[in-house]
Amino acid sequence: MEEKELRLYGEGYLEERKLIPRWRQPIPAIVALLLTLAVFYATWWIFQDPRGWLRMYTPYVGYMYTRWWLIMLIWMVYIFNYWPFKRAWLEKTHPVLKGGILTFISVFILYVLIKGFFEGLLGNFGIAYFNPGRLMQLPRMTEFFALEYASLACLMFAAIASWLSPAWVVACEEVPWQKMKQPAKGISILVMTFFLSTIIFFMTMHSHMGILYYPWQYFTSIAPPYWEQFANTVSGNFHVAWIMCCTVMVWIVETIWERFPFKLIRTDWLRRVTAFFGIIAMAWAMLFFLYFAQELTWGPAIRGTRLINAPDWRWLHVGEMAVFFLVPAIFITFYCNNWPRRFSLPVNVLIRTGITIVAAVLLYILYYMFSHDFLGTQKGFMHEQQFPMIPTIWLINIWLAHHWFMDNWPAWKMVPKTAEEIAEGHAAEKALIADVRWNPSLGWGLGVGALCGIAVYFITLEILPWVYKNITVIR
Amino acid sequence: MSDDKSKFSRRDFFKGAAAGVLGGSLLGMGVYSYSPWRKSYFPEVKRKMADIGVCKSVKVTNISETSWFQNSVLMGDIKGAGGLLVNQYSYNWPPFGDGTGLGKGSFESGVAKIRHLLPNNVDEAWAITEKLSVSPENAGGFAALIEVEEMSGKKRKFLLDSGWSYKWMHECFKREGIDQMLKNREIEALFISHEHFDHFWGVPVTYKYDPTITTYIPDTFYPEGLQYLKDAGHKGKLVKVKPGLNPIIPGLATYVFAVPIICRVYGEQAVYANVKDHGLVSTTGCCHFGIIQFAETAFREIAYEKNQLYGIYGGLHISPFEDWDPKYDDLVISLGKYGFQKIGCNHCTGVLCAKKFIERGYPVQKGTARHRTPDTAYLGNGDRIGFGIDL
Repeated sequence: MEEKELRLYGEGYLEERKLIPRWRQPIPAIVALLLTLAVFYATWWIFQDPRGWLRMYTPYVGYMYTRWWLIMLIWMVYIFNYWPFKRAWLEKTHPVLKGGILTFISVFILYVLIKGFFEGLLGNFGIAYFNPGRLMQLPRMTEFFALEYASLACLMFAAIASWLSPAWVVACEEVPWQKMKQPAKGISILVMTFFLSTIIFFMTMHSHMGILYYPWQYFTSIAPPYWEQFANTVSGNFHVAWIMCCTVMVWIVETIWERFPFKLIRTDWLRRVTAFFGIIAMAWAMLFFLYFAQELTWGPAIRGTRLINAPDWRWLHVGEMAVFFLVPAIFITFYCNNWPRRFSLPVNVLIRTGITIVAAVLLYILYYMFSHDFLGTQKGFMHEQQFPMIPTIWLINIWLAHHWFMDNWPAWKMVPKTAEEIAEGHAAEKALIADVRWNPSLGWGLGVGALCGIAVYFITLEILPWVYKNITVIR
Repeated sequence: MSDDKSKFSRRDFFKGAAAGVLGGSLLGMGVYSYSPWRKSYFPEVKRKMADIGVCKSVKVTNISETSWFQNSVLMGDIKGAGGLLVNQYSYNWPPFGDGTGLGKGSFESGVAKIRHLLPNNVDEAWAITEKLSVSPENAGGFAALIEVEEMSGKKRKFLLDSGWSYKWMHECFKREGIDQMLKNREIEALFISHEHFDHFWGVPVTYKYDPTITTYIPDTFYPEGLQYLKDAGHKGKLVKVKPGLNPIIPGLATYVFAVPIICRVYGEQAVYANVKDHGLVSTTGCCHFGIIQFAETAFREIAYEKNQLYGIYGGLHISPFEDWDPKYDDLVISLGKYGFQKIGCNHCTGVLCAKKFIERGYPVQKGTARHRTPDTAYLGNGDRIGFGIDL
């Protein structure tokens, strides 16, 4: 009875729906890619493109809305489980109608949040930099930069929320509210993640905003900020970098890694704690590597320079590079049914990771080769106005809406799983976990694999400068 | 198979190996990548020590540093047109106004209105474009006269940029006598730093007085910019400078940086001068690549007197719109260790940045705030600075 009540809304909907491809792969994946790319390009032109209609790529205004829209989608699906929409409505409504309604609601909440909460409430009764109108009262401030600064503050908050909101579901498994009904569960997780986001915002981004003004706001923010020596910059881009890596790692763990290796831990509290902090640790590994990769290709950063050699830009670019890995990872999960699935879990994960890395590198090269002409973004790698995170997250948002709200229509058909199929799925999942058990062979493999992994790392360090030298990205 | 612990299981081995590869890679990434050991991968900087010669002194006259008069108007236009990445030729700013309104113009439709008047009737051309353009009264421009004294005592003149508004640049040229110098062919070359409106679009004013002047541009100009040089009436030699060092005369060289710049511009050219017994002087239009990058490049590429970075003149592109960002503080904090002895900044450096320089005790040469320069914190219109010579 309790189980039935829990499923009144969309709890478990994503796991308990069966997406049946209408054709043999790879046709559905290609159809989905072409369709979503067409939607991406049309909406990019309407909303973002500097040559298009609304031209929100200023860049921060467009970036802020893109980033917060991502969080709206996560909130609606991962935290609120589609509440207040009933399970029956989710299962029976045509995907296009469902997608249209849910997307409209996500955009409506987005607008209310930005204009009502950040700009209206926080910006008028708390912190001036969330409100462009308040910023306009500063001497010499122009409307353009007032809007940019306020958008920057909002999107920095979004960057943190887009890591913590899914992390509480993926890593912490909604604890301690996992058995609560909606909307109480959603509200509890929202309040908790928003609270944590607020704390982290003050500890990471507030000082950045505080030294944005002249003179430095010594009495309201820590200036110079505590990370100055470690990060070789006073810019908050250092935090943007690791937080972006956390966001990417959460989704990699959730998608192509199927929550591996954390789901092998059987003790609930240990698994959750390890997953939460393990994701952060892996994100920091990614952070340091992507920074080092830039040093290997463009030389060490020089503080005080601008653009490609500046530490602040290098940190920002770490976040930008990280998001390129998210795009193929999401595609593999959403449209390729997490191919391959035929091997053991670790081998599947390794193969998917390899494919993701190769695809991310190709996407990175193609993006910088063609985005200037195709998307109207700044030419070259290295500019404050060149934000690959905007188009990539915009595309991911479209995929999320397509996959979560529209059941991958039209190349797939959604059919609810039967009780037997759900039970089979749970049994298969248990078997998958049970398949990876400790034994000497696995131990030897782990040791040899670790040495190979270290070797792969150092070989990558050797070939990166060569690759950079031999591939002309910007002509 | 895997249940029998005494036997080796290839499948289990691969499971472990796959997990190990991921773990080992992450371990390497996390432990090594930001450690001090990683520095062993950085190649030692080998100075090329290119010899650009030496000169006795350099004098720079600020013809105009005020590229626009009201920041709020310029930023209002940029906001209205769709932000900092919109193609500058589509803003409908003069001289490419076509009467269709903000953000709806194009190079072709704009220049078609005035092409027939260039370069000789720039006043008439401006009168036409004023009526068709957005915010014509806000247009100013950047231009500087560089006078190099060779070791022999011979003086040679170069023009860096030609501003934006025909009207304003005409006024400034007359004020500083540039029109006569051009007429007399005293100025031997025009260096266009980059394609931006405020440095380049006033080029017909230079060509009105000397259409044959040799013109150096970065080879990264867009097709519109190249066409505009023809439409503006240039009849002389056009040198498209590739990224890197480009010696001009003994003691003077330009350097092109392939850098992306807002408003759909790419690449910038700046000037190095090696002053005898003093050191290197950097003269820049906007310095989008950053003054420290300019200094670091000089260190790697050029041999200069006393190994001393001696002086700076021009825009340093720190706070061009009186905006701020913590990364600009990185520059303000770091500039001191480069040891510049004379800083003649202005234009896109921003008044706020100049004040921060002064607060940190940097040798900023103050100006006189004449001819519509807003503040004495930096060198203003009509002000001069000498390197290796006292003015």
